[in-house]
Amino acid sequence: MSQLLTVAHLTKSFGPQPVLRDISFSLAAGQVLGVLGRSGCGKTTLLKILAGLETPDAGNVLLHEQDLLPVPPNERQMVYLYQEPLLFPHLNVFENVAFGLRIRKVPKAEADRQVTELLDELDLREHAQKAPHQLSGGQRQRVSFGRALIIRPRLLLLDEPFGNLDAQTRADMQQLFLHVSQQHHITSIFVTHDSREALTVGTQFAYLDRGELTSFATVHEFIADPRTNIQAELAFWENVQQNALLKKER
Amino acid sequence: MRSKLLTTLLGGLFALPFGLLALLAVAPGWRFPAVLPAEYSLGALRSLLAADNELLAGLGRSLLLASVVAAVATAGGFGLAWAIARTARPGRWEALSYLPYALPPVLLAVLIQPFIIRLHLSGSVGGVLVGLLLIALPFATLLLRSFWSQQATEYEQLARTLGCTPRQAFQQVLLPLAWPLLRTALFQTFLLSWFDFGFTNLLSVGKVRTLTVQVFTYVGEANAQLAAVASLLLLLPPALLLWVNKKALLRRPDLG
Repeated sequence: MSQLLTVAHLTKSFGPQPVLRDISFSLAAGQVLGVLGRSGCGKTTLLKILAGLETPDAGNVLLHEQDLLPVPPNERQMVYLYQEPLLFPHLNVFENVAFGLRIRKVPKAEADRQVTELLDELDLREHAQKAPHQLSGGQRQRVSFGRALIIRPRLLLLDEPFGNLDAQTRADMQQLFLHVSQQHHITSIFVTHDSREALTVGTQFAYLDRGELTSFATVHEFIADPRTNIQAELAFWENVQQNALLKKER
Repeated sequence: MRSKLLTTLLGGLFALPFGLLALLAVAPGWRFPAVLPAEYSLGALRSLLAADNELLAGLGRSLLLASVVAAVATAGGFGLAWAIARTARPGRWEALSYLPYALPPVLLAVLIQPFIIRLHLSGSVGGVLVGLLLIALPFATLLLRSFWSQQATEYEQLARTLGCTPRQAFQQVLLPLAWPLLRTALFQTFLLSWFDFGFTNLLSVGKVRTLTVQVFTYVGEANAQLAAVASLLLLLPPALLLWVNKKALLRRPDLG
């Protein structure tokens, strides 16, 4: 499989504090790299370097073998999605989604057609004329997602995008993300501190801790690594189940 | 019913001074203890239409000064607030912005007067403008400082990754986001300059006769009718601004 993104020996420090240490990985087109990382592990800096919002101290970032570092963020076609949906409050849902097309001066009729189609797909058609503050948390994230998808990004960078949602909405959004990713053949890096979320959305897996990234060849290796804490969590639930059974037998 | 009565009462109380001003403006010889004027005349109001009317010239000067101060202070304050947000220690610069308010405006005018004289701006509209900006610019900077938060940076960065150049991100995202605050800053700095008397009078050594300065002069001369006409003119632009901005001033905060 040809690699879409290749990151090699990426290093970044803020003053004396190293944030990223010699990070290397590659990602094939259509894959979702689920990166598990706790707060302060360097995930935001990594995503911002890929988006062109930060510059690394050393290392290379190649997209289809093209050096990406001199390319400004607006020409990278990589959308960075924050934990907050950050919808533009002065625009309604329709215009929020259309934003990237308007900036690219896509003819109005064509832009409107694309937005309408995407709103249908995201089940947002009936909310098209609403202001962002009239939407629920999940609906806002869907609009944010649509605003990113409409420009057909080469790479989607997601920084704990569902972190502020309740459990049910979060699960719904994960399924929607999976569906849309497959439908549009989206390549993405999905950073989360939740191992279940990483396992749900990822097709490739990595663990980021104190600026060091470990890539895993298989999902089994990812699960088996004690740092991901997945084994401990599995053991916890098994324990709970056994205790429940024992109580029942008594 | 009760709240309607209360609203009417409050509205009446609010309108009372304006009614009194209007009455004074058309009553040339209204003396104490007469409850109502003995005679009425529109002479003072008609004289406003004369080409060489000093009150109209004052209105023009005040409008020019307040508009320029509002535009320059708001634009400058927005830029300065942005620059402060990007410094290593923004708190220090914010503290400095409070310095012009550590002194009464008149004392500040006395202190900067020598500089205005050395700049050959004493007694000119330019000198008053520089002086008023010394007050209005830090005010606008402090007011607009809250806009340049982490969230503004995130909006800007998101816009860049969605395809905006830095200029497009500023024009299409940051400016519309900041507009409610910018409108407040424009309004407040306009009023600050519009109603200033002491600072303007001192820096211009009485030569720049804005409408506010004229009101004080007429009051000093016990010319109640002209003072009332000038006061009515003085109230006109702020009332218009309030009317135009009433939607923004009365709006409920976003629920989102």
